[in-house]
Amino acid sequence: MDDLYLPRLARITEVRDETPDTRTFVLQLRDGPVADALPFVPGQFLELSVFGCGEAPFCIASSPTRARALEVTVRRTGQLTDALHTLGPGDEIGLRGPCGNGFDVPAARGKDLVFVAGGIGLPPLRGLIWNVLDEREKFGRVTVLYGARTPSDLVYKNELADWGRRDDLELLVTVDRAEPGWEGNVGMVPILFDMTELRPATSLVYVCGPPIMIRFVVQDLLMRGFAEDAVISTLERMMQCGVGKCNHCAIGHRYICRDGPVFSYRQIREMVE
Amino acid sequence: MSDQDSARGRSAGPRGAFAIERSRIDDWVSTLLARGWVVAPTAGHGGDVLYAPVETPDQVRWEFDNSLHPPKEVLLPQTDPLFEIRGERTGWQLEALPPGKPRILLNARSCDVSGMRFLRRVHESDLPDSAYLRRDADLTVVSLSCPQPCPQGFCICCDAGPFLDDGFDVQLTDLGELMLAEVGSAKGEALVRTGNGLFRPATEQELSRRRMLEAVAIDSFGESTCHFASAMRRISTGRVVEALWDTMSDWCFECGACTLVCPTCYCFSIKDRQSGGGWQRCRMWDSCQYGAFTLEASGHNPRPHRKDRVKRRFYHKVSAQYHVRDGTVGCVGCGRCVTVCLGTTDMPAVVAAIRKGVWNG
Repeated sequence: MDDLYLPRLARITEVRDETPDTRTFVLQLRDGPVADALPFVPGQFLELSVFGCGEAPFCIASSPTRARALEVTVRRTGQLTDALHTLGPGDEIGLRGPCGNGFDVPAARGKDLVFVAGGIGLPPLRGLIWNVLDEREKFGRVTVLYGARTPSDLVYKNELADWGRRDDLELLVTVDRAEPGWEGNVGMVPILFDMTELRPATSLVYVCGPPIMIRFVVQDLLMRGFAEDAVISTLERMMQCGVGKCNHCAIGHRYICRDGPVFSYRQIREMVE
Repeated sequence: MSDQDSARGRSAGPRGAFAIERSRIDDWVSTLLARGWVVAPTAGHGGDVLYAPVETPDQVRWEFDNSLHPPKEVLLPQTDPLFEIRGERTGWQLEALPPGKPRILLNARSCDVSGMRFLRRVHESDLPDSAYLRRDADLTVVSLSCPQPCPQGFCICCDAGPFLDDGFDVQLTDLGELMLAEVGSAKGEALVRTGNGLFRPATEQELSRRRMLEAVAIDSFGESTCHFASAMRRISTGRVVEALWDTMSDWCFECGACTLVCPTCYCFSIKDRQSGGGWQRCRMWDSCQYGAFTLEASGHNPRPHRKDRVKRRFYHKVSAQYHVRDGTVGCVGCGRCVTVCLGTTDMPAVVAAIRKGVWNG
């Protein structure tokens, strides 16, 4: 049997509704505790199998500092995610990984960290954010800037409320369109840049969201004096194998699944589509 | 047996050269058939040459224009089951499939053997693909050199033929009344030894005839220059003007045939296919020339235009970045894309257009 393509079995132990179309699945491996059986770093991803349907890649949304379980947050957008959303506690899925490079956490020590997320772009950063909060003394200021289309589309609402109460983290949230009862910011994510104090010289910025949002955010950050190496993103592509063979996620001679998904903006700029 | 130089490289396989009477070749094939599964060029319906399992020596073709489909399917089946899936949503069992049997690929052309060498490197590099490599290790490749190169071939530009220096287990060369067998590996040695008494060591005169045939074959390609180096520099440094890609891709019909017949193409998708009461997880051929190849579930497509996909294909085949990774261009000069392309976006035409900066589609 080919180890590269053979999934391990995992049981869904809990499902949390995040938005009308997005759920978080909590997973336990059949073959032992996550920390021992599947060591990972934030930013890595899993190839999840819904047997009889297929496989697709999802970022690990949990932190290795809280590795009692694995968490993935999945928006329902296609066949496989439709099938995954029909599963609940007690059901089994398959998983391969961890795949990809992940974030360089030691390189972030001592830096001010800014997280910029749009919509379903928060889950790939959430593992890193919790990793940073659990080792809070190793990092400088922590700022989380989060935007979604509407208040209902914000994921991790309970956690956002907790983060908002912490005094060792600055959280700013905005929505493109308000709904009744929303008293917060309205506008695209870059409007939040003027509401906080950005420190380009001492900061690393982690950006994740839809391609159009990444483009505008990165342009804005560069104009504000951030170096291309200080802007870090995690890319998404259509993937199949997750192990650098099938060619679906290739950009130039780089493979998002193997060389990435985490790249600095300098690396992204040098890629040849 | 001889270490004299041939026209371009080392003549005689590293493990010696042997000769067999042409009249005894069927006896040898019988010994191969007794060892197990033999895939060889056969006469298909309508006279096409097809690589297929053979049961009797008379099914094997010895003089033929190369097949439209390369024999790469022996290593990369179009649908390749990885494991069985049994059970139901609250509990699954994943079961291994029985291992494949050792096989012999007989009379593979030089370009196709070079394609398999390319595929081996791809599957060995970075994370080794053990299923592919096991199948490769279980395959013995008997190549048949090409004293008369095919009209659309340009293997000589890719160091992939018409004769091989390595990459084969046995390389046969037709000397008329004799077949010369150069041995390239222990697996090849075993096949020649199987033909107990059918083979004798080749004489210096026979090796000299083989070198002569290679020299004549090389000469028959004429003096045309190869454009790969120029195209490689331009593609690798992004110096092919966009308008040229636009014009070239106007001649692509997005049929994907170039990728399906290419000995070095290996893009695939992974799908679950119903099988018995469960499923098989399968690896299946895919093509970077299809629009859905990069289509994401969100509807976003980073390569939305045909131009983007044509550009991608030639970047993967010809860029210096991939040359470093794979040790060669991703082309063995078989000329199949020239044959199958409904338009004219085949390798020689695109490479020449990039070199000249002009498209004569």
